Amino acid sequence: MADSAEHITCQEVVELVSDYLERSLPPDETTLFEQHLNFCDGCDWYLEQLKRTVETVGEIREEDVPAEAKERLLGAFREWKRS
Amino acid sequence: MTPAQAHPRTGSTASKELELVARLRAGDEQAFEALVQDYYATMLSVARGYVRSRAIAEEVVQEAWLGVLKGLDRFEGRSSLKTWIMRIVVNIAMTRGTREARSQPFSSFAVDDDEPAVDADRFRDANDGFAGHWRAYPSNWSTLPDGALLGQETLDVVMHAIEELPDAQRVVITMRDVAGCEAGEVCDALDVSEGNQRVLLHRARSRVRTALERHFDG
Repeated sequence: MADSAEHITCQEVVELVSDYLERSLPPDETTLFEQHLNFCDGCDWYLEQLKRTVETVGEIREEDVPAEAKERLLGAFREWKRS
Repeated sequence: MTPAQAHPRTGSTASKELELVARLRAGDEQAFEALVQDYYATMLSVARGYVRSRAIAEEVVQEAWLGVLKGLDRFEGRSSLKTWIMRIVVNIAMTRGTREARSQPFSSFAVDDDEPAVDADRFRDANDGFAGHWRAYPSNWSTLPDGALLGQETLDVVMHAIEELPDAQRVVITMRDVAGCEAGEVCDALDVSEGNQRVLLHRARSRVRTALERHFDG
């Protein structure tokens, strides 16, 4: 890695992408990260891939409460109310 | 617990929750049903991080709800209701898991083992020049046909990838990206540091991305 003080490599970028999306990179690393993305389509597309991954995971519909479990819980609630 | 203090709670959320708690204490069955609907699936995912089978995880969740009802009078709103409920799940699941000789707190998980987000083969090495740069760029998913990422087939790939994750990673990505919990809520509920939460989330997202890439690129 040439000039390591001012550049980060693609291999380093992919380890920072999730933290970047979390906005938890320190300011100096954020600058290096964004500078890298300005000239690297590969990493830009990687960032896009990770964003889309997170969006897709967010589309998973959480399963409904099984009817039997719900009945039992409502029963427990009624009992708790009486006590 | 320090992480809780790092995330001050906004007044309106906290007061809405206290209102909900008051309705529950007053025996409002609809409020309880809505709460069960909101949190049941997340509780189940959390429990499954600590115990072996889905059946046992369901028992843990059932027991946790009884714990919630029992503790409701003591809830003061210092943590969010969600965090408080998830902590009850974790405590019961860990007791149960210890009996199964399986469970350990996520805080004890080693996260220092080096697991690259992307296989090292994908990058040039010192012999090639430009060490650490892509050999071939990952593909541009903006050019995928509309809806490709949200189709059922793709969702199945993602769900399967999550299912295969190590326990701690699976619980963290489910809480954060499926259930929409805040980082601080995850830290508090699972008793992990902010740093470990981020590493677990990073690893989990990276593995799911890899599964999607295999699906799209073959």
